[in-house]
Amino acid sequence: MNGHDEERLKRLLQDALPAVEGEPEPGRDLWPAVLKRMDAGLAMPPWFDWALLGGVVGLAALFPAAIPVFLYYL
Amino acid sequence: MNTHPYLRAYMAGIFVPTLVLPLLLTVFIVARIVMHVPTPIEQVMIFPMAVVPSLFGLWNMLWLGSHLRTRAPIGLHGAVLPLLMAPIGALVATSLGVLDIGARGVVWFHACSISYALIVPCFLAATAAYYLVWKYIIGFLNGVLGIA
Repeated sequence: MNGHDEERLKRLLQDALPAVEGEPEPGRDLWPAVLKRMDAGLAMPPWFDWALLGGVVGLAALFPAAIPVFLYYL
Repeated sequence: MNTHPYLRAYMAGIFVPTLVLPLLLTVFIVARIVMHVPTPIEQVMIFPMAVVPSLFGLWNMLWLGSHLRTRAPIGLHGAVLPLLMAPIGALVATSLGVLDIGARGVVWFHACSISYALIVPCFLAATAAYYLVWKYIIGFLNGVLGIA
């Protein structure tokens, strides 16, 4: 492939691919959105789940005879 | 990673019972050999060993097969499981002589007395525990295995 062929191939490719309209980069910084999404994945459990866990632990502490029965069903 | 999703769901489901089983076995061995509590380990272990892991695995497979249609969160799906397991476990335990039903309450494993007034709070606590286990452990494993 000589230089003429390369120029021709380049021109054909440029003609085939549409030009990018406007700014080639996004108008805003996307990295904070990525960080926000990562933080959302590591979010703390809601208070309701903590309350449920507290209730389960509290009942097990008050009535330890129920612990083997819990384990029996797990 | 898109092959055999139901096999992966089954494996994620049996994870927790498989971990708890040796713990339960340890508790009962210590109770019987060290503390000399007359607990019939052989009969006690049948339900947790033969039924519970399979039910967890099958229940997770059912969630995988139905959640796109029902949109049910996995925690809620797991919290329904005690409704199925409680009667089955009680039936198996009664037939094996592990659960004695008395006038004022029930006696599990010939050692743990639970009055009838406590059965409802214990059932609710078990439902809450199941909800948490399914939401945070099995849900996490489903995500790791690429089926959530």
